[in-house]
Amino acid sequence: MATLEERPILTEATAVVPENPDGKDEPRARKVSRHKTFRSWKATPAVTLLIGLSSVATFLGVWAMVTELGWVKPVFLPSPMSVLDQGIRLVETGDLWVSVIASSTRVFTGFGLAVLFAVPLGILIGVWWPAKAIMDPFISLLRPLPSITWIPLSILWLGIGEAQKIAIVFMGSWVYILLYTYESTKRVDPILIRAARNLSANDFAVMREVVLPGALSGIISGLKVTLAISWSCVITAEMVAANNGLGALIWQAKDWGNMPLVLMGMVCISLTVLVADWIMVRIERLLLPWERNLRE
Amino acid sequence: MKDVKNKASILSAQNVFKSYKISGQKDILAVEDLSLDINEGEFICIVGASGCGKSTLLNMFAGFISPTSGRLLLHGEPIVGIEPRCGMVFQSYALLPWKTVRGNVEFGLKMKGVSPKVRRERAEYFIDLVNLGAFADRYPSELSGGMRQRVTLARIFASDPEVLLMDEPFAALDAMTRQVLQEELLRIHEDQRKTTVFITHNIDEALVLADRIIVLSSRPGRVKAIVKNTLARPRHMTVQLSKEFTELKSEIWSFVEDEVRRHGSVTPEYP
Ligand SMILES: Nc1ncnc2c1ncn2[C@@H]1O[C@H](COP(=O)(O)OP(=O)(O)OP(=O)(O)O)[C@@H](O)[C@H]1O
Ligand SMILES: [Mg+2]
Repeated sequence: MATLEERPILTEATAVVPENPDGKDEPRARKVSRHKTFRSWKATPAVTLLIGLSSVATFLGVWAMVTELGWVKPVFLPSPMSVLDQGIRLVETGDLWVSVIASSTRVFTGFGLAVLFAVPLGILIGVWWPAKAIMDPFISLLRPLPSITWIPLSILWLGIGEAQKIAIVFMGSWVYILLYTYESTKRVDPILIRAARNLSANDFAVMREVVLPGALSGIISGLKVTLAISWSCVITAEMVAANNGLGALIWQAKDWGNMPLVLMGMVCISLTVLVADWIMVRIERLLLPWERNLRE
Repeated sequence: MKDVKNKASILSAQNVFKSYKISGQKDILAVEDLSLDINEGEFICIVGASGCGKSTLLNMFAGFISPTSGRLLLHGEPIVGIEPRCGMVFQSYALLPWKTVRGNVEFGLKMKGVSPKVRRERAEYFIDLVNLGAFADRYPSELSGGMRQRVTLARIFASDPEVLLMDEPFAALDAMTRQVLQEELLRIHEDQRKTTVFITHNIDEALVLADRIIVLSSRPGRVKAIVKNTLARPRHMTVQLSKEFTELKSEIWSFVEDEVRRHGSVTPEYP
């Protein structure tokens, strides 16, 4: 990802420094850095990481300070050490894995079903207008509805077992997946479809060879956004009615007045979603090899 | 009911009008009362000012758009819908970004159900022909503009349609590559005698390649003049040094100049 920020903006300084006779191989920019330190710092991964780590360390330091010195009462904000303690205990007892696996299973089942349902449907409404006309009213009505509003009905119909959590995830994600897929399908360059037909492609081949790969990049971007939404759905559902999972974990901790555990639960949710994101990025690279030069 | 007069012509346009509608604006008449007969095996070059309707005409022959009135015929039958027998080389390449050079060149053959082995061989041959052997496994986004253009040529030659429609296929190329590909196209044409309609801005190019050169008037496009190219075949690039070439060139230029002068570059419909 070569972004603009990574390029040194203030390199003019390098131009005024004369050639260094004894260090021929040394790049000029480094020579400058001895005199004008900050100007020629490059945003290399190491430097970026270093800055990130120090900002986290500073934050933790301030947090530890205000809690240890008693400036903030532990019931309002527990100290980072007690949160870490809880984390260690969660790992030792194995509760962490049980919760992570319970929530992840629900997300991936609900999300997976939504993908299987909404991606083909999205392509269909993108290429065949009657399907769009049929779906439009439902999309308009369902899209503004937060998935949490499905909780009462889903409990009535499905009880409070796994199916109900999965249903909440499904209801919270499929409309978005459908819309992203539809939009991406619409954005496929019509000249490519013409070209394919001109080369004897039939309707089915146009779908398989042009529309689907053309929309894929947009669909996957949409899935990455929707996956985060799925996670918030499952956490909500677990907070309302469940006896395991990360959402249940922090809700129960709240009932017990165990604030460090609440915070640790939040950290775990964050980390789990990050890992899920990372997996999606891997899948994206695998599925979109032709975008390899855009990524470097 | 077929026209007796058109018996030999593989492709023809009869009193074709095409106007584009843009909501909230005046219609743009792109092609006006254009009639043209193209014979089997003929190489036609179309020249004319920018925006005079050349691409529009070619798009109608390919069946991408339909005329507002008039008829377009292939083998005496109306062209309805996209016509795979008229293979198009697009001005804007239109390569599939998710397919490698090889995948793009093989595409037409794959769609026709040619076996993987045969289509690989044929693709290989045409990829080498346009000098892209080392890039066969690259994606279009990893190629230069001229290289992409060469892929479109390999793709159309490999898929081997009955008629070649080429919309300024050499416009993005450097002078040397252009010359090499002109020679190649000339050789292939003299070999296969495939009917070709070729759009260019370059009169030299038209004279090297064509049997007949159609000069279109500035928009709306009408046939301004049809110049028969009397230069002998087989032709070679050195034909450009002959006296006959210079005479033909100035003849064509006089028609083109006329049109450019008459209309200038200002198009009144565009604010
Ligand atoms: N899809 C379209 N919608 C509206 N107007 C169009 C469209 N395509 C072309 N035109 C108009 O029709 C006229 C002819 O366009 P065309 O693309 O056929 O020109 P051209 O001769 O190929 O030009 P060039 O040499 O620049 O490629 C132009 O004035 C253009 O503005
Ligand atoms: Mg054009």
